[in-house]
Amino acid sequence: MVQYNFKKITVVPNGKDIVDIILSRTQQTPTVVHKGYSITRLRQFYMRKVKYTQQNFFEKLSTIIDEFPRLDDIHPFYGDLLHVLYNKDHYKLKLGQINTARNLISKIAKDYVKLLKYGDSLYRCKSLEVAALGRMCTVVKRIGPSLAYLEQIRQHMARLPSVDPNTRTILICWYPNVGKSSFMNKITRADVDVQPYAFTTKSLFVGHTDYKYLRYQVIDTPGILDRPFEDHNIIEMCSITALAHLRSAVLFFLDISGSCGYSIAQQAALFHSIKSLFMNKPLIIVCNKTDLQPLDGISEEDKKLVMEMKAEAMKTVMGQGGEVGDDEGVLLTMSTLNEEGVAAVKNAACDRLLNQRVELKMKTKKINDCLNRFHVAIPKPRDQKERPPCIPQAVLEAKAKQAAEKERRKTEKDLEDENGGAGVYSASLKKNYILANEEWKDDVMPEILDGHNVYDFVDPDILLRLEELEREEGLREEEEEDDDFEMDGKELTPEEKEALAEIRKKKSLLIQQHRIKKRTAESRPSVSRKFDKDKKFTTKRMGRQLSSLGLDPSMAIDRARSKSRGRKRERSVDGGDKDNGDAMDMDMDQPNKKLRLRSMSRPLSRSRSRPPSEVAPGEGFKHSAQKVKAIKLGKKSAKKRNKDARRGEADRVIPTLKPKHLFSGKRSIGKTDRR
Amino acid sequence: MPQGDYIELHRKRNGYRLDHFERKRKKEAREVHKRSEIAQKALGIKGKMFAKKRYAEKALMKKTLAMHEESSSRRKVLSNTIKQKRKEKAGKWEVPLPKVRPVAEDEMFKVIRSGKRRTKQWKRMVTKATFVGPGFTRKPPKYERFIRPSGLRFTKAHVTHPELKCTFNLEIIGVKKNPNGPMYTSLGVITKGTIIEVNVSELGLVTPAGKVVWGKYAQVTNNPENDGCINAVLLV
Repeated sequence: MVQYNFKKITVVPNGKDIVDIILSRTQQTPTVVHKGYSITRLRQFYMRKVKYTQQNFFEKLSTIIDEFPRLDDIHPFYGDLLHVLYNKDHYKLKLGQINTARNLISKIAKDYVKLLKYGDSLYRCKSLEVAALGRMCTVVKRIGPSLAYLEQIRQHMARLPSVDPNTRTILICWYPNVGKSSFMNKITRADVDVQPYAFTTKSLFVGHTDYKYLRYQVIDTPGILDRPFEDHNIIEMCSITALAHLRSAVLFFLDISGSCGYSIAQQAALFHSIKSLFMNKPLIIVCNKTDLQPLDGISEEDKKLVMEMKAEAMKTVMGQGGEVGDDEGVLLTMSTLNEEGVAAVKNAACDRLLNQRVELKMKTKKINDCLNRFHVAIPKPRDQKERPPCIPQAVLEAKAKQAAEKERRKTEKDLEDENGGAGVYSASLKKNYILANEEWKDDVMPEILDGHNVYDFVDPDILLRLEELEREEGLREEEEEDDDFEMDGKELTPEEKEALAEIRKKKSLLIQQHRIKKRTAESRPSVSRKFDKDKKFTTKRMGRQLSSLGLDPSMAIDRARSKSRGRKRERSVDGGDKDNGDAMDMDMDQPNKKLRLRSMSRPLSRSRSRPPSEVAPGEGFKHSAQKVKAIKLGKKSAKKRNKDARRGEADRVIPTLKPKHLFSGKRSIGKTDRR
Repeated sequence: MPQGDYIELHRKRNGYRLDHFERKRKKEAREVHKRSEIAQKALGIKGKMFAKKRYAEKALMKKTLAMHEESSSRRKVLSNTIKQKRKEKAGKWEVPLPKVRPVAEDEMFKVIRSGKRRTKQWKRMVTKATFVGPGFTRKPPKYERFIRPSGLRFTKAHVTHPELKCTFNLEIIGVKKNPNGPMYTSLGVITKGTIIEVNVSELGLVTPAGKVVWGKYAQVTNNPENDGCINAVLLV
């Protein structure tokens, strides 16, 4: 069940647009090239442009050719329809022209690429490329009219009604103005134009209808006139095509009253002339417009003609192996104005069609595969007892009541009709309001009250809220009475007051400091301790803080001082501190004392610098000679080799002026033009 | 109206918008201003292309306007008579391109080195378009002095008839004379200004005696190596 989707064909641009698009795309390839580039590079550059343009044209034209349907490959119904509408030869010719254009462009590109290989200057390559592009564009410009034609066809094809040629279809056809479109409107949702003049319907219309859980396609055709086959115009040919190719049920609409302008005799003549078209199709003759003239009231000759047609139709029924006595399925009467018989016609048509299709399917070989798969199981009755469906009594009663109510209940629409129709009666919407007091139903609600919009203050929960508010207010009043006394309960003693004042002062200080710190951290760059200009971080300060805490700061101060000072400084400070007069005397003891002090006060604070050959305890050498050797070896390995064989920095000697390997010998590949 | 024409169907049923026609009229009136704005603001290649299109339209408009005036016809007749008089005064063998830029030998030939050490330089390859006859076979490559590559060989030329003003794609019969020298003529090199002989049997010309003319001379008017094709003007 292929659904032909002609809407998917891409838009066909006109010749100039194609040229513009592709040339601007070619500009996307690299554009800069200079005279000084090597000739191969120049050639490659221009060859690439030519090739790229050719490929783009090829692609674009190929999409056009591929997407348009080939009239021979699609269903013959569509093939013929398109032939009728657009003329098959013309269509094929245009597509063929596009194909030749495509081949021409490929040839041009090939030729010019070959020529580009001989280009020896930038100017020559460039002019060849310009010539190539120009020729390709001329080819496309020449097929401009074909492209315009194809674009028009595409637009029209996209609007064709999508008819599925394989599914269940009902075809409505006959003379113009007999009531086909009104019937179509009645059974499907297609809104077809219905007008009193003939040939209102100018093309095929498709609608869908349901019957027994199956979807049926209903096709409305433009009218056919009784003319020789070749004389039909395009519109009539559409309907004839549909008749010829679609396997469908055909409904012939006979206009009994003759108000379409053609007598029954003419209509019968038409029937006989096109009866060749509907072999093997279930036929139904429908007599329309019976409200103007019932079937029994027509004249004798007309009746005879009608019976003749019916006989023909019966033949087709018998030809399918249908029931012989199926009189009613063939000739039916209806009137689309009164809507009597419309449903009957539709049902009859659907039934006949379904039967025919099922029969056909049964005859094919494929049906056996299907039949194997399903099996309808009918249980064997074990006794003669009847077992009707069991419906509880309550449900039956409810159903009966509902039915009665439905009959009895008056709908609003009925009320409206009684009281004068749509324009006269306006339904009262307030009738069914549920209110506390019945009399409030007809009250008019005010919109503005005291200068305010009433609707701003309306709230569905407004009463609840009001209650809550009142409750809260009631509570709060009680609370306020409780809180009034406890304020002047206790008094502070003077010590406590002092302590409180101190605490407050300290707190405010801390806060200020913190604020300053904060300010420093974010807005001002903070200076490291090393550059402490203000000398905030001194040992004296530390000492003060520690003593204020109640600790002895002396040890800490000593430790800190010994870390930060150098040896020399300490010596001078110590010397300065001690008594200058006693320096000589104390010399014996002082050095020892100093040393001891020094060693005691700085146990592991600084590593001693030692001579290079002295082995430190943790290094892993046996003795100092080994260490010296190791140091020497290390330095030697890091020295740069004298590969130039120079005796010093100023030595410029060349060991060999003519090395043999450069001045003699043939090359295995390449030339020895220069040495 | 076919089933798929939704726009028209809607228009038929619901009519147009109340202000539809006025809007349409105003939009069309604004087109002029929009176009001029684009013309002023478009930059680069887009601007150039747009300007070119606009100029073409302007030229066409001017032509149609001028055509409606009567004085132009008289002017054309005058200029035509003058041109005719000049032609008659000129000689019989006048060619469309009397003077042609001389082509130097190093421009015409490319030196091809040969030999094991690539030292011999007696071979030459032609870099311009050539014509070799249908029965042409190369000399053995060892002795061939002038190489005419097959990619540069042409057999057909686009010949314009100067009076009919239409162009035909005719076969070349041979090269008659190359203005750069007899050597090039013998080689069959085709450059601008070369006189070639073309097969005009397509045109169906007949001599006064009644014989069918099938060969005529034409002069090449473009540089074939730059354009990839030979354009010539028939010498009548």
